Amino acid sequence: MTDLTLAVALPLLAAFVRPLFNAGALRWLGQLIGPVVLALVTVILFAHWSTFSEPFAIALGGFAPPLGIAFYVDRMALLFALAVPLVTLLLWPGDDGADGARRQSLTLLLAASLTGLALSGDLFNLYVFYELAAVASYGLVAGNGSSAGYVAAFRYLMISALGSVVGLLGIGLVYFKTGTLNLAELATLGNELADPQGLAAFAMLAIGFGVKAEMFPVNGWVPEVYGAASRRVAALLAGLASKLAVLVIVRILLLMFPSDEARQLLLVLGILGVVSGELAAYQARDMARMLGWSSIGQLGIVFIAFSLPGEAGLVAGVAAALHHLVVKSALFVLAGPWGGAIDRLRGAATVSALGAGLFVLFALSLLGLPPLPGFWSKFLVIGGLADAGTALHYLGMAAVLTGTVIEGAYLLRVITTLYAPPAGSPAPPRQRGSDLLTAGLFGIALLAAAVMIDPLWQTLDALAVSGVDTAAYQQTVLAAQEAHP
Amino acid sequence: MTTQIGLVFFIAAIGLCVIGIGGIVLSRNLFRMVLALAIAEAGANLLLVLAGYRWDAVAPILSAGQMPAPMVDPVPQAMVLTAIVIGVGVQALALTLVVRVKQRYGTLDMQLARERMNAEIDATADVTPPRSQERPRGERPLPAPAGGAHD
Repeated sequence: MTDLTLAVALPLLAAFVRPLFNAGALRWLGQLIGPVVLALVTVILFAHWSTFSEPFAIALGGFAPPLGIAFYVDRMALLFALAVPLVTLLLWPGDDGADGARRQSLTLLLAASLTGLALSGDLFNLYVFYELAAVASYGLVAGNGSSAGYVAAFRYLMISALGSVVGLLGIGLVYFKTGTLNLAELATLGNELADPQGLAAFAMLAIGFGVKAEMFPVNGWVPEVYGAASRRVAALLAGLASKLAVLVIVRILLLMFPSDEARQLLLVLGILGVVSGELAAYQARDMARMLGWSSIGQLGIVFIAFSLPGEAGLVAGVAAALHHLVVKSALFVLAGPWGGAIDRLRGAATVSALGAGLFVLFALSLLGLPPLPGFWSKFLVIGGLADAGTALHYLGMAAVLTGTVIEGAYLLRVITTLYAPPAGSPAPPRQRGSDLLTAGLFGIALLAAAVMIDPLWQTLDALAVSGVDTAAYQQTVLAAQEAHP
Repeated sequence: MTTQIGLVFFIAAIGLCVIGIGGIVLSRNLFRMVLALAIAEAGANLLLVLAGYRWDAVAPILSAGQMPAPMVDPVPQAMVLTAIVIGVGVQALALTLVVRVKQRYGTLDMQLARERMNAEIDATADVTPPRSQERPRGERPLPAPAGGAHD
């Protein structure tokens, strides 16, 4: 049970050990340490996932909650925690040049803190892990070495720090009203936060944690950072880090603010995200920033899904989030050599047919072509919105469908450019083998999900049932005292 | 009396937050933005400390053979310590980035730095920037700046 703490502790330790083996006879050890640790963490988490029966809590340091800090482990937390080392392994940065060790170190730090975000059951602890992830990502963005990277990292840092201050104010407000920051104990006090002050606290927390989740008002950093950083870093941030921030917001919403107003706020922010993100993506003329804007729109859909009440919302949200995790990571990997102007990609399909084929696969899934998983995730969202049936929900439905049309316009434009006859000189850029391998693995995952949609559906359903069960959360965490010596 | 002092502290905390956030949003100088961030964080930290403060209580240190007296809530204080440390780290990182920006682009002006960044991203991506009000078609000559026009 306590070995789950290793999922956070081991990558954290490895992140600080990694620079020691930068040169000299033990250099090979430094190369190995990151992948080995991440593989080990994957094995630990997968063992828990495959033998999972009941949610449980881990009291850290021998202090029982609510005084001590707790990890809460249910299917949802495990699923997202499992995604962290897996995707990090797939997007593992190679050791090219002097910066390789630093980049690997920061990636390990990011993996550790993101796993912590998935498991932590304490509001302030979430804040600490969130800041840790933020600092690691500033380093990764600036580590590109380009001048644009420094400015992008600074602006990202400023927006993120502004969000942190607002989030900290929200945490202070929650503590004022309730006197606790343990999520389980806060869940028992649900009604105390169901007033305008509580709603203000939710808005502050959502903005604080929403910076990484590319939520509507605090996402100005997205195109610059994805344009300036290396594509693998962009894949990590857009694919993985944003999903963990979404998970935090969902946990806060479910446990602390079970009111309709909080859901409506999330819905409105999601709608604004979809509309603004997709429109801006249509305008973009280079692949990296187009994908960045489009991920704002996609995360807007995720927020709309999570704003739906009950299990249906959770199933739709998790499905949309996981789908975006796979597809957007893969698209950013493909954007490695193809990140530049879309016009320059004319005839790129002739030089790397596999890359173009994978791009078509991911683009169609993003659009929601059946039987690809993207169709099911959008189907769940639309169905949930239709069931909820208020005017605002119909507006959300219109936004998702309009967004899909715009998405179709710009993604199909790229596809037609890829398959157009080549323009002659300069020759269209060719995909690298390592990128094709990574994107291919993501593609296999996507196709496997399309084939096994039925068991996947059942898993998500079970996950959602335990996810909305806040009573179980309270009992499990607050009873962790007895479980721990 | 004590509630009035408390009110002063609350106003101070919220005022610091407003000044800081306003500074981040409104100032163009990179270094001033970092300073404004420090002020905003100080305000947030002060507010967190106030959340658990009692005017008639002692520091939360329990020693042997002593009757427990009313104590200040230690949880917000521990949190604020953490938040201060995180804040210092982030500000130091922000300052190193400011130094790098100054080295590369030779400016501390956010707007200029941002324009140059976007131009660089456009250039690496091989995209011509869209025409806009500031970049009219045909590159009409802009009016010469008022100062230094005669040199």
